[in-house]
Amino acid sequence: MVAVGTIVWLASELMFFAGLFAMYFTIRSVSPELWQQRTTLLNVPFAAVNTLLLVISSVWCQLGVFKAEQGQPARTGSLLQLQQWGMREWYVLTYIFGSIFVSGQILEYASLVRDGVTISSDAYGSVFYLTTGFHGMHVTGGLIAILLIVGRTFTTRRYTHAQASGAIVTSYYWHFVDVIWIALFSTIYLLK
Amino acid sequence: MKVEFRLFAGIGVFFVIIGSVYGMVTHWSEPVGPFGLYLSGGVAALIGFYLWETGRKLNARPEDDPMGQISAAEGEYGFFSPHSWWPLAVAASAGVLFLGLAVGWWLAIIGLSLSALATIGWTFEYFRGEHAV
Repeated sequence: MVAVGTIVWLASELMFFAGLFAMYFTIRSVSPELWQQRTTLLNVPFAAVNTLLLVISSVWCQLGVFKAEQGQPARTGSLLQLQQWGMREWYVLTYIFGSIFVSGQILEYASLVRDGVTISSDAYGSVFYLTTGFHGMHVTGGLIAILLIVGRTFTTRRYTHAQASGAIVTSYYWHFVDVIWIALFSTIYLLK
Repeated sequence: MKVEFRLFAGIGVFFVIIGSVYGMVTHWSEPVGPFGLYLSGGVAALIGFYLWETGRKLNARPEDDPMGQISAAEGEYGFFSPHSWWPLAVAASAGVLFLGLAVGWWLAIIGLSLSALATIGWTFEYFRGEHAV
């Protein structure tokens, strides 16, 4: 039931981002010269590494889901025995990768603002910060969700089915945000 | 869950075809329409994929059987909260937070702290103590 609700909500989220993509392409099609100037300021290799981190974090999240499905919240071996890791360890690793991604985004914003691209500078700035900013807010929301879902495993004695489904739907959201970023990265950094 | 899967997969294919037709009719000079239509196809495909993936894991349900009886669908459906005050707390503190964006940062900071408390309260409501679900 939780999973069905999450999928329906994610479908509506997809349409929210469809609106942002539509905005990006509309404004881009009416001011091509602005795009030619501004896209040279983008640091594509940096953003590509950042993208890679987010994609890898999705893999860690999925490994955490497998552990949640097995009903194993905590690791059974030492921290170095990856095979023995539980759901918590994988979700914390996801969290670390996700937070590096958000920090990378902030670094990139800082360098763009230094180059004079702000949200109110021109149409490109508005569109760039609105699309990547809304995505960044979604990632931040996902990070908070991971914290809550990991925190919740500590307050109960047993790792129940309800706990596992919470972890699984958090992973749905995380994968969704990851896929949206791949689409955003391709439109903003690769298509230019 | 084959019927549900086919329904949404069909809607997805429909939107992809319509998006391409739209693109060809407008000579791909108007990017928003095809993009919106393709993403509408994506929405249907997302739900269709979920139904297919879930259907693969589950056995045939009573509603899949044309001769199924209502009594065959009884049993436990999962945990549902009987009642909770936390959604109200979350909504009220989010209200304070967004009012703060218009009024002043000091109110937004208060709203943010209240939102954090309310979110934790809601998430942990049934996950603590002896009777955790």
